Amino acid sequence: MKFTISWLKEYLDTNASDEAIIDKLTDIGLEVEKVQDAKDLFGAFIIAEVVEEEKHPDADKLRVCKVNVGDKVVDVVCGAPNVIKGMKVVYAPPGTVIPVNQMKIKVAKIRGVESSGMLCSEYELGISDLHNGIIHMSENSKVGSLYIDQMNMNDVMIEIGITPNRQDCLGVYGVARDLAAAGIGELREIAVPNISTKAKNPIQIVFENPKDQNLYCPAFGSRYIKNVKNCESPQWLKDKINSIGLKPISALVDITNYMLFDYNRPLHVYDADKISGKIVIRSAKKNEKFLGLDEKEYTLDQGMCVIADEEKPLGLGGILGGEASACSMLTTNILLESALFNATNIADTGRKLFIDSDARYRFERGVDSNSLNNGMDRAASLIQEICGGEISESNICGEIPKVEHNISFNLTRNANRLGVEIDAAKIEKMLNKLGIKTKKNDDILMCSIPSWRQDIHGEVDLSEEVIRLTGYDSIPVLSIRTGTRINDNVLNESYKNNLRAKRFLAQRGNNELITWSFTSSKDSNFYIEDQKLKIQNPISEELDILRPSLIPNLLNAVKKNSNRGFESFSLFEVGNQFFSDQPGDQKNIACGLRGGVKAEKTWRNNESIYDVYDAKEDMLSLIEHLLPQSKKIEINAGAPKWYHPGRSATIMLNKNIVLGYFGELHPKIMKFHKIKSRISVFELFLDEIQAKVRKSTNKDNYVVSDFQAVDRDFAFTVDKSIEGKILVNLALKADEKLVQAVDIFDVFEGDSIGADKKSIAIKVMLQASDRTLSEAEIQEVSSKIVDSIQQKTAGVVRS
Amino acid sequence: MSDLSPVIKNIESQKKSVNDVGSLEKMRLQFLGKKGEITLLMKELGKLSPEERKAAAEELNKVKDSINDFISSKSEEFEDNLMSEQLSSERLDLTLGTKSTDGRIHPITQVIDEVIAIFTDLDFCVAEGPEVETDYNNFTALNTSENHPARQMHDTFYVNSETDGMPNVLRTHTSPVQIRSMLQGKPPFRLIAPGKTFRCDNDQTHTPMFHQVEGLVIDTTSNMGHLKGCLETFLKEFFETDVPKMRFRPSHFPFTEPSAEVDIGYRKEGNQIIIGEGDSWLEILGCGMVHPNVLKNVNIDPDQYQGYAFGVGIERLAMLKYGISDLRTFYDNDLRWLKHFGFVPLDIPSISGGLSR
Repeated sequence: MKFTISWLKEYLDTNASDEAIIDKLTDIGLEVEKVQDAKDLFGAFIIAEVVEEEKHPDADKLRVCKVNVGDKVVDVVCGAPNVIKGMKVVYAPPGTVIPVNQMKIKVAKIRGVESSGMLCSEYELGISDLHNGIIHMSENSKVGSLYIDQMNMNDVMIEIGITPNRQDCLGVYGVARDLAAAGIGELREIAVPNISTKAKNPIQIVFENPKDQNLYCPAFGSRYIKNVKNCESPQWLKDKINSIGLKPISALVDITNYMLFDYNRPLHVYDADKISGKIVIRSAKKNEKFLGLDEKEYTLDQGMCVIADEEKPLGLGGILGGEASACSMLTTNILLESALFNATNIADTGRKLFIDSDARYRFERGVDSNSLNNGMDRAASLIQEICGGEISESNICGEIPKVEHNISFNLTRNANRLGVEIDAAKIEKMLNKLGIKTKKNDDILMCSIPSWRQDIHGEVDLSEEVIRLTGYDSIPVLSIRTGTRINDNVLNESYKNNLRAKRFLAQRGNNELITWSFTSSKDSNFYIEDQKLKIQNPISEELDILRPSLIPNLLNAVKKNSNRGFESFSLFEVGNQFFSDQPGDQKNIACGLRGGVKAEKTWRNNESIYDVYDAKEDMLSLIEHLLPQSKKIEINAGAPKWYHPGRSATIMLNKNIVLGYFGELHPKIMKFHKIKSRISVFELFLDEIQAKVRKSTNKDNYVVSDFQAVDRDFAFTVDKSIEGKILVNLALKADEKLVQAVDIFDVFEGDSIGADKKSIAIKVMLQASDRTLSEAEIQEVSSKIVDSIQQKTAGVVRS
Repeated sequence: MSDLSPVIKNIESQKKSVNDVGSLEKMRLQFLGKKGEITLLMKELGKLSPEERKAAAEELNKVKDSINDFISSKSEEFEDNLMSEQLSSERLDLTLGTKSTDGRIHPITQVIDEVIAIFTDLDFCVAEGPEVETDYNNFTALNTSENHPARQMHDTFYVNSETDGMPNVLRTHTSPVQIRSMLQGKPPFRLIAPGKTFRCDNDQTHTPMFHQVEGLVIDTTSNMGHLKGCLETFLKEFFETDVPKMRFRPSHFPFTEPSAEVDIGYRKEGNQIIIGEGDSWLEILGCGMVHPNVLKNVNIDPDQYQGYAFGVGIERLAMLKYGISDLRTFYDNDLRWLKHFGFVPLDIPSISGGLSR
């Protein structure tokens, strides 16, 4: 919302400085977004006269002008085709910054001729797109005077942001009222002209379906004005329209725009001679065509409110006027519309047709119902004043809704809400100045809310009025520390796991990424069965579904960084993956990725490459970190289809909970992403890791054995299909008291032991808690281990 | 007993020829070995009379001790020499290097952890909610009716599933966690809800996904003064400054009334932003007193309970605190950026250990 200080002061009687006004606007919630002092933009431009001009000796299209700038005559080289001797022009002396491109004018030689300054077009001043000629000032412009004085532009333009609730401040008058209530001067009330006429309004207006009237247009007011002469607006009106960055068009159009920005009253003027028969307010028909004033054709739908005549739609009510009944300079009879449209209907229609108009903006926020008459009459008198004509009686079709209502405002509750007690008399004064009538009864203020404040529904809204006008600075700063705690559990277990997982994985050398919660359906085919994950209105095709896995986005990060020259990838993300588009159908995953160079070749080491065991180590270490001392983890071969079938496994907890997977990604996926190195990942379902229910903070009892431990190594030749974990488990079970640990330290395959065989070597640690083991005991356990493994795996111990 | 002086002389001359472990051992054997000269002389002591024996033994022992002393000091010297030789031969070029192998924590995670540390100290708990939300939780329950203009400013992403006839959405703010939390529990409430949020907007200053932290306090007494105190404490702790320069401005959110936006003062020094002082203002968060309609929607009596809520953008906090100038870089996942702006894993923000260093 834009206005100028001088426009504002037409309604606000104040001695306050511009700065005070600007600060106060922000303080009361009308946030100042831009302040533009015309002096800063145009202050340097001077009215000058071209006293001589001739062709540039070395350029066909340039003219060399002698320009009288008031106190001297300077040479200016000019390329405009319309420059002629005697013309009054706008001159930018050296040092001027040109608004449109921020270029600073310097004295310069142009093709050998010195030019001191520039003659400007409207385009260069940033006031229009016209750049095919310089500005031709009127004959009576005073040479040497400032352009802004000549144009009555010496003013400060303010642009404020209006929050959606403050429809009352979408006009200058409303802003003035708010400032007056905040103590910046007094409101000068607008005197609405009293139109006395006997002329009949010849155009009949009907609702097609009166029952539904309120869903479309509760009230449609109009006056017919006969024998007007549309013309250019008078200077004062043109200046106003210009001052807020609009273009004056014609008196009839400018007057409606003026009422819109001045009084927040959307109006429309029809060329009455283009209306066939009566006006019908109705729902659009399906696929009905409508040509708007913006010269675009719209295809309408049922439910949209149109103002039509007996043949065609004339306008989209409250949104956009139509070309068919538009006014021109030849218009002689008009119908002036001042209506109230249904906010929901306006919002729906505007959204469906993608029309953002000033009228829509206001109607969907709620227009003051009482401005229907006042705004119409102000406009009608202005039209008569400027364009002449005879005004008819007002015709209101429908009923102006009564929106005024009362609220009982409890002052004690108000103080308890705001944290500060404000004097009741002061409150009443502020509210009264807003137009809210009050009646005090003990602690209660009975408040009558005027028609223009449709945002005030209850007590809390009045509290906001009181505190914003008093100033948010008056609210004290109170400590929120209290003696008793409200919350026992600050973080839930799942959140704690998140935090631990991130720090732990990073400490192991992985970099944390945060990628979108959406991804591309193309990249995700590998991970989806038939989940419904589509986003209806994605930002792009690459981000069109909720991610069914964290892997595709991580792979894209690998690809991107590999293009930047990285060869080594240790990445992870902790975040949600989606199983469907239902709220809550998401799981929290820790996904780690390793690929590429693990250790570069150096003078010490050969190059090594990350493989699936690195991902496994990350995952199992993380599980160990989150679930210390849990021995109920099992690793089972095989994982979902996005993994390499022979190089992946599923991790089970307590035999029945799937904690997650690890493995090398399927080569098909690598090919799809055009990634050359092998990539191994793990996916851990963090929410499956539940904290142990514990009775005590004590750890389990533990006795440290003081007796010597012995290691014994065994090697077995077994079928290739036998997994190492089978041997380990058999050795552990051979004597559960004495066998403390079993580790595989070598695996060997080769022709010497047969093509379908492998050799697995295990190290077994034996220890008793109460004695040193004798050689005989060691032998006995050893035999048990060998027997058990040979029997159960058909393997042969190697000597 | 024969005169010892030739033996002593011999010893002295032998000492001079000792130059390594071998010649030292040879000398030891020559004098102190089983058949060594001193050993033999010792054996002859028995033949002497007791008086002579005592005197001779004293003589001999002196000589023997002097040899032993010599041997032990020499062998120590030789060991030292050997050790120095070994040491100088084992010299390594330690400027050749190893690489640090720890990864980095993303700044968004770090900032969320900082926010959690501050608010848990103020007795807030952390609540969570899903990223796909019902239209009701995201809008309607938050007093944002279907045609509320604020709703159109949200640029909502929709999915195809529906709840009660309305398409579900990707939550446009963390505020629906307020609704979920209040429906699940009973007042008083003091919670924050950090998380991902989504808006259909993608340009230089907007990403389609971003992070917010929501705050909610509901009890019988919390008022706007407490809201101010809460946010002042938070901003002071977060930016690690003295009480920062702040400005509360009236604003509008459908779910709070009165509502405010909070600006924080700053000034620029070179490329760096100094937060909490100076004459420029940056909008940093939105807040207000929870609207009675919101309380009614979660079955809390607004005549009995009141309180405040606020919402802060995590990226904005991170950008201001750590001087990250481009929002889009948070999601670019450039490992060079992460190395520079990321955090070492064990810098876990806490009140005792400090938020940042």
